[in-house]
Amino acid sequence: MLACASPAFAAEVSVEVRTQSGAPVRDAVVSLYPGGRPAPLPAGRRSYEIAQRNIQFSPFVQVVPVGSIVAFPNFDAVRHHVYSFSAAKRFELKLYAKEQNRTVLFDRPGAVPLGCNIHDNMSAFIKVTDTAFSAKTDANGRVSFAGVPPGMTVARVWHPYLRAPGNEVELRWTFGAGRAAEQVRVALRPPPPRAAAY
Amino acid sequence: MFRAIRTRLAVLYAGLFAVALGLVALTLYFVVHATVERQVRSELVASATVFDRLWKARSHELGNAAAVLSRDFGFRAAVATGDRRTAESALDNLRARLGIDVAFIVGVDGKVTGLADPKLSGDAARLWPALDQGETRGVATLGGVPRQLVAAPVMAPALTGWVVFASNLDQRQMHALENLSAIPIEASVLPASRVEDPAVRGGAPGRVTTPEGPAVALARPLPSLGGGEGAVLLLRYPVARAMAAYLPLQLAMALTGLVGLILLIAASWRLSLTITRPISALDEAARRMEQGETVAVAVATDDEIGRLARSFNAMAAGIAERERRISQLAFNDSLTGLPNRAFFRRHLDIELAQAAHRRRTLVLLSLDLDNFKAVNDTLGHPTGDALLCAVGARLKAGVGEALVARLGGDEFTIVAAAEAADAGRMAQRLLAALSEPVEVDGQVLDVAASIGVAIAPQDGADSDTLLKNADLALYQAKEAGRGTYRFFEARMNAEAQARRTLETDLRRALAAGELELHYQPLIALGTGRIASFEALLRWNHPTRGLVSPLEFIPVAEETGLIVPIGEWVVQEACRAARAWPEEVRVAVNVSSVQFRRGGLGATILQALAASGLEPRRLEVEITESLFLETSDTTLATLHSLREMGVKIALDDFGTGYSSLSYLQSFPFDKIKIDRSFVERLDGGPGAGAIVQAIIALAAALGMETTAEGIETEAQRAAVQRLGCTLGQGFLFSRPVHAAAALALLGAGQRESRAA
Repeated sequence: MLACASPAFAAEVSVEVRTQSGAPVRDAVVSLYPGGRPAPLPAGRRSYEIAQRNIQFSPFVQVVPVGSIVAFPNFDAVRHHVYSFSAAKRFELKLYAKEQNRTVLFDRPGAVPLGCNIHDNMSAFIKVTDTAFSAKTDANGRVSFAGVPPGMTVARVWHPYLRAPGNEVELRWTFGAGRAAEQVRVALRPPPPRAAAY
Repeated sequence: MFRAIRTRLAVLYAGLFAVALGLVALTLYFVVHATVERQVRSELVASATVFDRLWKARSHELGNAAAVLSRDFGFRAAVATGDRRTAESALDNLRARLGIDVAFIVGVDGKVTGLADPKLSGDAARLWPALDQGETRGVATLGGVPRQLVAAPVMAPALTGWVVFASNLDQRQMHALENLSAIPIEASVLPASRVEDPAVRGGAPGRVTTPEGPAVALARPLPSLGGGEGAVLLLRYPVARAMAAYLPLQLAMALTGLVGLILLIAASWRLSLTITRPISALDEAARRMEQGETVAVAVATDDEIGRLARSFNAMAAGIAERERRISQLAFNDSLTGLPNRAFFRRHLDIELAQAAHRRRTLVLLSLDLDNFKAVNDTLGHPTGDALLCAVGARLKAGVGEALVARLGGDEFTIVAAAEAADAGRMAQRLLAALSEPVEVDGQVLDVAASIGVAIAPQDGADSDTLLKNADLALYQAKEAGRGTYRFFEARMNAEAQARRTLETDLRRALAAGELELHYQPLIALGTGRIASFEALLRWNHPTRGLVSPLEFIPVAEETGLIVPIGEWVVQEACRAARAWPEEVRVAVNVSSVQFRRGGLGATILQALAASGLEPRRLEVEITESLFLETSDTTLATLHSLREMGVKIALDDFGTGYSSLSYLQSFPFDKIKIDRSFVERLDGGPGAGAIVQAIIALAAALGMETTAEGIETEAQRAAVQRLGCTLGQGFLFSRPVHAAAALALLGAGQRESRAA
């Protein structure tokens, strides 16, 4: 929960993301834009961390506000070469060893796929968001927001494998005061082959 | 159609061989065909398997290339960052290095980059959904050409697109496949829609028709990428090409068959010739034998045909021998050995034809012995036969080249190609030869003959006429006093013609009632009363009027008509006499022929019985000539008649060969003195003396006498004075009708009574 603005009348919104077949979708990032505008982010820099452990990134999806610094600690005995060619942030952390820490500033909103040039199986995503109401679903495909201003809200649902341009769909909801529950159905691609079974 | 046996045999054998050969060839063809097709089918299946492996190997190769590129960090960086030039150059670099036909990148957003041929971009863009579904291999149609495609995702690190490598499924590729096959198949990859033949859609080899002829084909669907129109691998093997390997075998088979057929035809022709040549020879020989030739066939072998030929020869020899004997019997006279009538007729026909052809004359002599019958009758038939043989031999010796034939009895005939002048000399020579006495069985016989000569063509151009005319001439020679010869003259023919007409008419006359009896009375000179009537035959010819008996009686005698006529005369005379007074008798003339032909006694008996006339009232008048050829049966008949009471009179006594011995040989009841003596009674004493002597002789023998032909009162007085008991002649009455005779009786008897 990035933002906890508490205006006089606020709504508590619960969103559930499921596949077409009804399976809960985890790691889907839901971002709300009340009135179509991003909810202002709290001031100050925040730090986040994506660890490299057991030749895998952790977590798989990390939501960060614009201007956040993300650290990439390596807990493995091997070296990693983390990179991203994304539009939101292009970087390359060339071969660094265990216990070496590298940080990267993410100053533009967007999805940043992460890879390791040495280990193709390693995959993770950083969702850089510009609105305060932005969070990822849990294992049950649920995410909740408190203090959402009533009225029309633009909702964007992103998932690394979502079958849509930019892996994202946009919805419009209208909330009143009090609780609201929304359900989103999305189509997912199968995860890309990891083991290079070409 | 095939009438000759040898043709039939040859055709039969050749036909059987051809059928057998045809069956073998057919079987061979089908076996070869089935084998080839089976082989082709299994080869196609094997080729399809090979193609699968090639396909996989190619896929693998392409996949490896794509994977190498898609994982290249620099490439990924270029793709992810939109560094299009770098990405394209890297793509192009690898494409060239690995010899890949087409390479391009499909972005995760569906954009196609790196395509060398912009025309393909549309087809390439359409691959996106399939790629997005995770398909990476298969056939897709790019630019209308099916190509083998392999895609590899570009993870940068998320999926940013796909590297797609395409390999053309062109002739080059197909040739590689074709070269791997054991048989020269034709391989091609076609859009599925172009393979429509249901025979191959099942996945198993099947028969298809191609522009080059029938082929065995196998269609193998290829995995498709993007779900578009599928592609099919079509393996084909033309049957003709498959069969081509067996063409030498088939040719050899055909050649062998042809040579075999020719040999067989030649052999069966030869064989059938050996069978049919002797049969043909037999056939020909039989035909010649049919035409009358004497034949024999050569016996060449000892088999059935040889035996047949031997039997045939034996049969032909037998037939020839029998024919010779039959013709000898048929054409030779068994007594003299001379040619007989049948042979003579044939010979004469031939000679006449040749003479006419050469414009030469032909002489025909008809010869008859004089008095041969007397020899036969007095000396017996064996002597007669021996005489005939001797005469035959003399004639044969006398004529040289000419033909002598015996026609029957004592009739001989000679045919010679000679002139009329020679004919006379020949006849004279023959007569002279025959005039020499002949010694037969120790007896010396005098022989004489008469000869008639006819000369062709003037006396007859055909054998019938010539022979008839020679006979007429012979008849004339006989008439002329025997021992001589006569040439035929046309006059003879006319006479003969008249006689024939007369004969025909006479046959009719009896039935037509043209004959009638006239009666001339015989007057008892002592009383002047009618003692009897002589029945005289008259012929009232419808056109010629009355015909003289002198004219028709000889004809009736010759033809035998005298028998029925004589029968009628006796019956008619007896019937007429019944109407007369009891003391008046009736006399009928009987010819020697009637005796000879027999049955006279029975005829008279029948006539007497039928009329009821007493036998004593019937007189039978015979002439001396009867005794010239008299026989025991004639005398017996006369005796039996006389015993019955019938009177027997000797007519015309004193003329011809009259002999007093006749008077002794039979007890006549009456002698009729010939009219010639009566006529001469007026002339002088000589005739009177003879008549007186006859009357005296008759009286001495107890016979009555009748003077014939009394025409004058002086004659009547003379014969009466000489002692003749009866008179006949015009002085008393001409012959009259039966009714007139009856009237005469009434008048005459009254007159005499009155006298």
